[in-house]
Amino acid sequence: MGVAAALLLTILYFTVGVMSGLRSAANLVVAPFAWTVDQVARPIGHIFAGTINYSDVLAQNQKLRYELGRAQLALNEHWALYRELQQVTTQLHVPFVSTLPVVSAQVTAISPTSFAATVDISKGRDNGVLAGMPVVANGGLVGSVIATTPYGATVRLITDVRSLEGVTWGSGSTSLVVNGRGVNNGLGASSVVLTTTLKPGTMLVTDGLSGGLFPPGIPVARVRQVTLTPGASTYSLTLEPAADLAHLSYVDVVQWEPST
Amino acid sequence: MSRALLVVTLVTLFVEGLQLAVFSTWRVDGVVVMAVWLWPLAMGLAGYTTLGIWSAIVAGVFFDTHATTPFGLTAVVGVALAYGASRLGREGVGDLDSAAWWVTPVLAGVAGLVAPVLYVALGAVALNFGLWRGSVLTVMVVNALAFAVVARPVTRLARAVGRLGGTRR
Repeated sequence: MGVAAALLLTILYFTVGVMSGLRSAANLVVAPFAWTVDQVARPIGHIFAGTINYSDVLAQNQKLRYELGRAQLALNEHWALYRELQQVTTQLHVPFVSTLPVVSAQVTAISPTSFAATVDISKGRDNGVLAGMPVVANGGLVGSVIATTPYGATVRLITDVRSLEGVTWGSGSTSLVVNGRGVNNGLGASSVVLTTTLKPGTMLVTDGLSGGLFPPGIPVARVRQVTLTPGASTYSLTLEPAADLAHLSYVDVVQWEPST
Repeated sequence: MSRALLVVTLVTLFVEGLQLAVFSTWRVDGVVVMAVWLWPLAMGLAGYTTLGIWSAIVAGVFFDTHATTPFGLTAVVGVALAYGASRLGREGVGDLDSAAWWVTPVLAGVAGLVAPVLYVALGAVALNFGLWRGSVLTVMVVNALAFAVVARPVTRLARAVGRLGGTRR
């Protein structure tokens, strides 16, 4: 059994890399147990829901959320497009999400821990998904791809504490860096200079600066609260993600790389 | 002992499945209840040091392969909980039969409070300084409450599994 396990790990190591190999091996071992538990837990959940066709309704609901999200994204992008048009003389040929190819994928798993905000998706390297690509859904930026396998990828959400995004608003003359504050805490920005004119409700979009991690104009978050500490020369922002991250079922991976 | 290890490994894998299929999906206020920490803790409270540590390693390693957090952290925290609890369990402090009924839930609650802090602290040692920026306090409170509520039945299960494997404490 030990030899078989070592052989399996070796094969996985040489085909898909160390961590991917470990993950694949772990998935192989745990999957039957998780499947069994899921098979028991799911009907109980359905009983609690009290609906015979709960699964179908849920799937339909997820699909509708996805379509609604795409519509919201398009709506938000129209606003950004208007701003882009105003600056067209200086930004000709700058790539924009609506003109870039996307790969649609289904969310297959969410991070099992409270300490990381990530999701796994159903498309990977074989479908053209690469690390660093932005991911959008439900009306805005969801995150970026941080790891891929041939058949799947891991997306770090914008609320993850390790996420950073350069954003702008209004005329696009000022940029800010916003960061994730954890699964439940949305996003935030600190040390925002007092001369910056931001008020609750302002939509922040990716700034698309040269060398940035995202193309311009993707809605990231709305300002929820502006906090000024008395005597301080800067203020901090509490932001609400533009995308509904709590109900991610389908996402679009934008085939755009930072270097392009 | 090998039979006990096998039994505990199988049960631990079921706990792992329960964690991934249920607890990681049905979150409480966005927080994941860490059954993969509770199980080794319960093994420890039942007085099984080796089995507790083994279950912590198995549960932690398999869990960490599913997460993007530093590899091995969950296992190390689980081992610490299992070892600490087993010291208490062997001295009868957390014993289900002789101690007061509330001792086991209180110990589990304290473990639920301490575990996330330990996780964040060890994360910093592993040069991952961002873990504290999440909702650590919420994670602590939710896990403490969850651990306290289910501590007694889970510890009974751990004791039964230990006996099933033919291991004496």
